Amino acid sequence: MHALIQGLILGVLTAGVYALMASGQTLIFGVMKVVNLAQGAMVILSAYLAYGLFTSFGVDPLLAIPVTTVAMFILGVAVQLAFLRPLHDEDRSELSLLVTFAVALLIEGFMSVTWRTTDRSINTSYANSSWSVGGYQITLVRLWAFLLSIAALGVLLLLLNRTRFGRAIRATVQNPESARLLGVESNRVSAIGFGLGTATAAAAGSIYGLLYPFNPGSHYDLISRLLSIVVLGGLGSIAGAIVGALIVSTSSAVVAATISPAWSEMTFFVILILVLLLRPQGIFGTTGRGAI
Amino acid sequence: MAALLEVEGLAKTFGSLRAVDGASLAVEPHSITALIGPNGSGKTTLFNLITGYLSPDSGHVRFDGRDVTGANPGRLYRRGLSRTFQQARVFPQLTVQENLTVAAGYSWAQLFGRRMSAADRERVARLLEEFRMAHVADLFASELSYGQRKLLEFAAVLMSSPKLVLLDEPTAGVNPVMIATMEQHIRERHAAGVTFLIVEHDMPVVMRLCDPVVVLDQGREIFTGPPQAVQTNPLVLDAYLGA
Amino acid sequence: MRSIPYAGQIRGVVFVAALASLPSFNLAHWSINIAVFTLMFAVMSSAWNLFGGFTGYPSLGHAAFFGIGAYTLGLWFEHHAVTTGYEPFLMLPLVGLFAGLIGVVLGAIALRTRADVFAIVTITLLFVVQTLAFNLRGLTHGAQGLALPIPPFAAATFERPFYYVLVALLAATMAITYLTMRSKLGLSLAAVRADEDKARGVGVRTLGVKLLTFSVSVGITAMVGGIWAYYESFIYPQFAIDPLITIGMVLMTFLGGRGTLWGPVIGALILETAQQTLAYELGGSEYYLIAYALVFLLVMLLMPQGIVPSIQSVVRRRRRRAVVDAPGPPPSASSSDRTDVLTRDAVVVEGPR
Repeated sequence: MHALIQGLILGVLTAGVYALMASGQTLIFGVMKVVNLAQGAMVILSAYLAYGLFTSFGVDPLLAIPVTTVAMFILGVAVQLAFLRPLHDEDRSELSLLVTFAVALLIEGFMSVTWRTTDRSINTSYANSSWSVGGYQITLVRLWAFLLSIAALGVLLLLLNRTRFGRAIRATVQNPESARLLGVESNRVSAIGFGLGTATAAAAGSIYGLLYPFNPGSHYDLISRLLSIVVLGGLGSIAGAIVGALIVSTSSAVVAATISPAWSEMTFFVILILVLLLRPQGIFGTTGRGAI
Repeated sequence: MAALLEVEGLAKTFGSLRAVDGASLAVEPHSITALIGPNGSGKTTLFNLITGYLSPDSGHVRFDGRDVTGANPGRLYRRGLSRTFQQARVFPQLTVQENLTVAAGYSWAQLFGRRMSAADRERVARLLEEFRMAHVADLFASELSYGQRKLLEFAAVLMSSPKLVLLDEPTAGVNPVMIATMEQHIRERHAAGVTFLIVEHDMPVVMRLCDPVVVLDQGREIFTGPPQAVQTNPLVLDAYLGA
Repeated sequence: MRSIPYAGQIRGVVFVAALASLPSFNLAHWSINIAVFTLMFAVMSSAWNLFGGFTGYPSLGHAAFFGIGAYTLGLWFEHHAVTTGYEPFLMLPLVGLFAGLIGVVLGAIALRTRADVFAIVTITLLFVVQTLAFNLRGLTHGAQGLALPIPPFAAATFERPFYYVLVALLAATMAITYLTMRSKLGLSLAAVRADEDKARGVGVRTLGVKLLTFSVSVGITAMVGGIWAYYESFIYPQFAIDPLITIGMVLMTFLGGRGTLWGPVIGALILETAQQTLAYELGGSEYYLIAYALVFLLVMLLMPQGIVPSIQSVVRRRRRRAVVDAPGPPPSASSSDRTDVLTRDAVVVEGPR
C-alpha cells in the first residue's frame, strides 16, 4: 500500500512535465495535422542545452528556460518552413511523418557528435534534497519540476485563450476551412503554431534534465511515451494531453513501485494498445465528420 | 411491396451538434427518390450513416430485408448498396479502366487474379461505351475534367450491379451539358431496374427526375411526397426560407 | 519496349543471374561483404515497399521486426545444434512466419485507424522491442549480447552461402512484388493509397489487403534479420533493433521510387554500396546518422517521387504529349481498341502510334 501511494505521488509529480511536452505535441497536430516525431529529440536537445549552460556557465537549468525556449521556437519555425511547408498536399501526412522522423535522427546525430553518447545528468545543489511527508518521500526537484510545468502549461493556455493569435490557432484547430475564410493566414498560423509546440520542449527539456539522466538516444523513450499520451487523450486535444499524461505517468510509476521498474517502461505501450482496441479516437477525441 | 431501404429514427450527434436527429425515410424499389433540404440539414451525414461510414447513435437501417445498421461500407457495397460522394471521389493515380475494375467488389480468391483480365476489360469497355467515355479509358483519372470524374464515379459504382445507388449531388459543379448527360444516364439505369436515392440542390433536375421527394430539415424529415407538392408545402417553404 | 513479350520477366531473370554469378569472379572478402549488406537492404527495402510503398502507410517500425527475426533465430539455435551450417537458413521460413503472425496481430490493432496512428504504433514498437531485448536478460542476455553458432563455412568462401540465400530471398521478394502489382491485390492496394475511405465504399477489402501485405512485409524483414544475426554471430539489442535500419529501408525505397518494382533495389544498390564503401574507406563514424538524415530530407524535398517514377513520367509524357494537351474531346488515338497491350509493370499507358 505504501509503495502504491508513493508511486501515485511520484506519478502525479512527474505527470506535469509530460503534460507540458504532450500539449506541445498535440497542439502541433491540431494546427497542422502533423505528428511531430522530433518532439522528443527537441526535448533532449533542450536538456543538453541546459546542461551545457549549467556546466559551462553555471546557469541554473530553470533559469536557462527563457533562452532555450527562444531557441526551440526558432528551431520549430525553421523546421516547419524548411521541411514541412514545401511538401505537396497529396501525400503531406505520409511525408511529414517521415520528415519529422528524419529531423529527430538529425538532432540525435548532432547530439551524439557534440556531447557523445554517454549518459549525462544535471546535478544542481538542490538535486538531492527531499522532504518526508507522512512517511512519503517528496524530492525538492520533483516538486519544482511539477510546479514549473504547471506554470509553463499555464502560460501556453493563456497564450492560446487570451491573445488574438491564440484564437486564430484555436480556430484553425477546430475548423481550418472556416478559419481561412475568416482571414486567418494559415501559413503563418502553421509556422508559429509549430514553433509554439516545439517551444514547450524547452521548458520540458530543462525539467527532464533535472529529473533523469539522458543520452542522445533517450528521445525514443520519450517520443514513445509522448505519442501514447497524445493518442490516449485524443490527437489535437490539450485537455486530453493533460489527462493522458496523468494516466500514463501515474500508471507507470505505480507499476514501477509495485511490480518492477523494467516493466514500467512497457506500461505506456500496453495503454496505447488498449486505447486503440477500446477507443481509437482517444478520451477527448471525436469521430468527427472530417474523418471521411 | 416492402421498401428497398428503410431508415428508422436515425440519430447522430457530433459534440453538441445534432446532425441527424431521428430521421426516417423509405425508398421504394424502382423509384428515384430525392432527398433535399437546406444546407446543414444533415443530408450527407444521413448518407454516411446509411452506407456505414458512420455508425448511428440510435435508429435502424434496413436494406433489402436485412438490418444493416452500422455494417461496414464494403459489405453493403457487395450486397448491392453503393454511393457516390459530393466531391466526385475517384482514384486519381489509377486509369479510368482501373477505376472501374477496382470497384467490382471482389472475393478474396479473385484478388489474386490478374489486375485486369480479359473479362474485366470487356465489362469495363461496355460500361465505358454506355457512358461514352471509351476515348479516355487509358487516361489517369487525375487527367479528367470534373464533370468526367463525376461520370466516372457514377459508372464505377455500377460495377457491382447494385440494387440501390445513393448519389450525393450528382449535378453539382458541372456544366449544363454534363447535367443533361448525367440525367440521361440515371434514367437509363433506372429503366434497367436500378433504384436511386439522390441528394440534389438543382430543383429543376429534381422536378424532372425524381418521385417521391423527401425533405430533410435539422436532421429530421419534414415532408415526403410527389415533387409537385413540395413547392407548395408550407413546412418546406419555412425550412428553406428560415422562417 | 513494352511490345516485347515477357520483357519484365526477362529483365528479372537476367538481373538475378548476374547477381548469382558475381561470387564466381573471386571478389575480395571486403567487396563480397559489401555485396551481402547491399543485398540485405535490397530485400528489406523491397519488403518495406511492398507495404509502405503500395499503401502509403509509413511504417517506422520495420527495424523491430528485423530485431525480432534476429533474436528468434538466435534464441532457437541457443538450444539447437548446427552441424552442416545450413540449418539456420532452413529455419528462416519459420522465422518469417512467426514475425508475420506478430505483424497480423499488431496490424489488426494499428491498421484500423489512420496512417498517423499507425506510424505512432510502429515507432513505439521499435522502442518497446529494443527495451524488451535489453530487459529480458534471462532470455536475450540483455546488453551482454547473444551469441549464435559460428557458421562452419570455409574461410575462403565464407560469405557465399549468405550471399546466395540473400539472392534467392531478393528474387522471391521481387517476384512477390511483381505478382502483387499484376494482380487485383495490387490494384486494391493502389486504391487504398489513393483514397482509402472511397476504396472502402466500393467494396475494396481495405483492412484485409493491408494486413496481408503488412505481415508478408514484416515476415521478409524478419528473415533478413535472421540471416544478419547468423552472419554476425553475435547480436546486441542496440544493433539488432536500430532505427537506422528503418530509415535505411525507407530512404532507399524513396530514392529509387516507392510503389515500383525496381526502385527499392536501385535505391539499395546506390545507398548501401556508397555507405559500406565509405565505411570501409573511412572507418566507422558518428556522422552516419547526420548524413543519413540529411540525404533523407533532401530526397523528400527535392525528389519525393524517386528515380524510377521520374524516368517513367518522362517517358510517358514524351509518348503522349498530344493526348493530354489537346483541347475539347481528346483524340481517339488511345481509344479502347488499344487496351490489349495495357499491362502495368513499368509504363502504364501506350500513347498514339
